[in-house]
This record gives sequence, C-alpha cells and structure tokens, in this order.
Amino acid sequence: MATLFVDKLDPQSGTALEIGSSGDTITIPSGATITNSGTANNFGGDNTPMFKASMSGNQSIANETFVKGAFNTEIFDTNSAYDTSNYRFTVPSGKDGKYCFVSLTAIDNLDSGEAQSSAYYINGSIDNLSYNTQWVSKGTNGFGVVNNVFIKTLAAGNYVELFVSHNEGASQNLSATYSSFSGYKLIT
Amino acid sequence: MASLSSKITAYASANGVSSVDFTKDVSLQDDSNGQGPYIKEWNLAIAKPSDAELTAAETAADAAEALATVYTARRQAYGSVESQLDLQYHDSKDGTTTWVDHVAKVKTDNPKS
Repeated sequence: MATLFVDKLDPQSGTALEIGSSGDTITIPSGATITNSGTANNFGGDNTPMFKASMSGNQSIANETFVKGAFNTEIFDTNSAYDTSNYRFTVPSGKDGKYCFVSLTAIDNLDSGEAQSSAYYINGSIDNLSYNTQWVSKGTNGFGVVNNVFIKTLAAGNYVELFVSHNEGASQNLSATYSSFSGYKLIT
Repeated sequence: MASLSSKITAYASANGVSSVDFTKDVSLQDDSNGQGPYIKEWNLAIAKPSDAELTAAETAADAAEALATVYTARRQAYGSVESQLDLQYHDSKDGTTTWVDHVAKVKTDNPKS
C-alpha cells in the first residue's frame, strides 16, 4: 500500500473534492483525530421527522373511556407526518427507526382518589408499555398533568396516536391550555 | 343522557356484578371521529350488552350519575377532615353543635332527590 505524504488536498479544478468511490470504506484509525471547523452535512442525523401539536379548544373526555386526544393545531411538523384531521403521526417512507414521543395531558376537577391516564396507541392498539397514570391526592377539584415520555421502534407507515382517560365520574375537559402531543426521530 | 360507563355499570349491577373495573373488566374507547364511545374490550363473565340493553339501563344510569353529583357537591361542602375535626374539638370543649349543624346543612342544601 502506497502512502501519500501531503499537507493539503485541493480540487484540481472547481471547488468539489471527492474521496473514494461508492462501496469504499474511509477509515480514521484509532488514536487519530478528525476535526470539523466548517459545515458537516449528513453526519449524525438531525432528529427529524419532528412534530408538536396542541388543541384549539378544550376537549370533553367521557368518564372511564380512553379518548383520542384531538390535537388539531400543528406547532411544527418538519416532514408533514402529523395529520390534524385524525390526530395521527405516521412514519414517512424511508424514516424507519426509534422515535421518542412526549406529551402533556391536563384534566381538571379531579378529586382525591381519582386518576387520569394517558397511553400511546400504535396502529390503533394500545401499547401497554406507554400506559401512564396519575392518582390525585388533592381533596377536591384537583388539576393534574400526566407527562408521558415513550420510545418505540417504528417502521414507515406505522402510526401513533395519544389517548387519555379519567375516572372522575362525569365528563371532564382535557385542557387546551396545558396539553400537547409531540415526537421526534432519535439519532442512532 | 348517561355516559356509556354509567350504563354499563347499571347493566352489570342488574345482572349481579356489583362493580366494574374499567381498566381490566371493560375497556371503552372514543376515536374522536364523531362516532362517540364504544366497547373496545369486554372481559366480564356476563354477556356483553346489546344496544337495547344499554338503552334499558339508561334510567338507572341517570339516577346513579345524579346521585354521584350530589355526593361530589357534599364532599366539597363538608370541607377537609382537618377542619371538621377542629369543629368537633370545639364542640366537645364548648358544648356546641357546630359540626352537626354544618353536616346537616350540607345534606339539606344538597338533597339526594
């Protein structure tokens, strides 16, 4: 193997410099350091798709019923993967991978011993590993928020929805002021 | 109109099931598509109710919800356990009936029917 000793590589013409060809492996050996002081494109990923949605108004949640959160307002949606008509995030083509979902769901008027829950549904079915419940200990009319963080490996076409429930006894509002549904692809 | 959970509770009670755990026995779901809530899973030993059976349970469910509303109002009006114990302490010490009068007024202000 020949060794090329130079201090700098520049393109012979123009401004584009290509190293190697398709199928080649470029290796930085152990103990060596590569430093980027410019712009690095397509290294490490960028956490997209990424979305966040809220609600335009409070949503009535029936007692003892898992109700899909009607998050009908996009705050951001990098890949147009969130649908405000059915409140669903769908993994776009070519975006298989691990995703992190984060939600805040707030329900008012809960009394001591009552609970509120949230869970993510994958392709229409509850994922029990995402089930999150908060029991209220305040005497009467407590206001609680469930913070639900959930990581899931998903493939293109898989869709994710957020459902909430409570056992107050009568219908109660999911607060538009404090509730949101968001998610993003993890860099792996 | 009573909620689906109340109608199922009333239906179950009429068929010998004293309580329903809606996290295990029966799962209700609403897909927020305008169709309303429905029974997603039914794990009770008694038969899953038909629409007609749920409609028949409406009156009992309405009564149960009305009663629950009364109990909620009373619970709020009674005040905390600590404040009621304080009333009882002063009643014992001073020979008054403040706590009994308070409870009686809450019940009168929030009748069951």
